[in-house]
Amino acid sequence: MSETTYEPDITIDSRGATCPGPLMDLIGKVKEAEPGTVIELLTSDSSSSHDVPEWVDETDHEFLGVEEEEDYWRLFVEVV
Amino acid sequence: MTGYAIVLASGRLERLQAVSNIASIAAVSDVPVDVFATMDGLEAFDKETVEAMDFEMGPIGEAMLAAEDVDMALFTENFERAREMGSIELLACELSMDMLGKDLEEYVDLFDDVLGVSGFLNRAQDKQVIFV
Repeated sequence: MSETTYEPDITIDSRGATCPGPLMDLIGKVKEAEPGTVIELLTSDSSSSHDVPEWVDETDHEFLGVEEEEDYWRLFVEVV
Repeated sequence: MTGYAIVLASGRLERLQAVSNIASIAAVSDVPVDVFATMDGLEAFDKETVEAMDFEMGPIGEAMLAAEDVDMALFTENFERAREMGSIELLACELSMDMLGKDLEEYVDLFDDVLGVSGFLNRAQDKQVIFV
């Protein structure tokens, strides 16, 4: 595993799930998390990798970035 | 307008999945959603149909079910999750059920109520109506 630039407080592993699973997993966690929490979402679903920043941008939360691994993506979101 | 009132009249798997995906994300994003399952759309929720995965489908539906490296959540699972997490209600069409002499027991346990046209239109008043 490569090192990540961000330090997640919570990691959600949604690899293997397809739309809308990963985003639903993320939204569930975002709703219960304290402000300041950094959440890392692992997804192998490319549509989700694009959908997550779209969803985050419409909220007050912050999309920190994405790191691409060989067969999945790591998406980082900070709860505001 | 706040939210969506989706008339789900089709029993094709691709359409069921598309509706469940859109409705679920909207609902968990706190957008109110009503899904009115009628005609073939209601029949797709029949317990035996779901158990046997006996849906009308085309190549995309088949690809979804055959995909080995991914775990596709069936529309019923998406709806169940959305109901737990967000603002969505599933309504069953009374006429459709009556035509086949069925009651709610014969469908998967996802419905909040049974309605007719007026019931649906009342709920849809402040929402954007989408017909599938």
